[in-house]
Amino acid sequence: MYLTETVAMDCYDVVRQLWDFLDGELTDESMDAIRAHLAQCRQCYPQFDFERTFLDALAATRREHPAPNMVRRKVLAKLRTAGLDV
Amino acid sequence: MTGTVPAAELHRVDARRFEVEALPWLDDVYRFALSMTRDESDADDVVQETFLRAYRSWHTFEPGSECRKWLFTICRNVFLRLRERDRRRVDYGGEDAQLEALASEQETQSSFGENAEILSHVDLGPALERAIGELPDVFRSAVVLVDVEGMAYNEAASVLGVPVGTIRSRLFRGRRLLQDSLVVFARDAGLTARDPCEV
Repeated sequence: MYLTETVAMDCYDVVRQLWDFLDGELTDESMDAIRAHLAQCRQCYPQFDFERTFLDALAATRREHPAPNMVRRKVLAKLRTAGLDV
Repeated sequence: MTGTVPAAELHRVDARRFEVEALPWLDDVYRFALSMTRDESDADDVVQETFLRAYRSWHTFEPGSECRKWLFTICRNVFLRLRERDRRRVDYGGEDAQLEALASEQETQSSFGENAEILSHVDLGPALERAIGELPDVFRSAVVLVDVEGMAYNEAASVLGVPVGTIRSRLFRGRRLLQDSLVVFARDAGLTARDPCEV
């Protein structure tokens, strides 16, 4: 442990919940507690940074697959046959 | 004059709403379909069928709700129906159930540690895309919805028709598998020291 007395969570709990924290899936209280822990813990912060970079890289893969124009044309053609005026 | 709206006018308004609210999500639906099918031709079929079904059931869409999530749910159902059809031809042997059991085992070694620097050395885009494609279906869907499409756990759970806890465990296992794949990728690329046991 590399923490001061003011941070209640221990490293095990923080690491266990890192992904929930990064996903914003914890209660406000837990988010605050982990945020406070990370601000002071030299042991946990690098792992937090690693997981954050990993998730950022995953999110960045999103932009690279727009639907091909052919698919778009087929969808519109199908919708026209169903009555949509596009 | 009464307050009733002519059927043709109602249809026109609904069609316009569909164009404005549903069609802009075509790229997202295609990405999601491709992530499930891993085949462009199959994804093409799934997307066409998804939008056709969405248009035909547009009257069931709740105005103001999350249209992308609604479309993803339809897309997932279309995919499952196609896969079910294929399963009649190929016996998958209950693979999903085995993987689900694996996902519920929470004790998994983190890839953090000696591999922490990999993320700064590797061009992650292509490596990650390949690794996502190689994930088992149950993990890939959770990872794509939450990590790539940015959905909250409860939204992804709604699309996949599973409890939030299942999303959490699938994500946990899927992310660990992706990290393991990156480690292998980095080793193959000579970016990290090889495992001494392999020398």
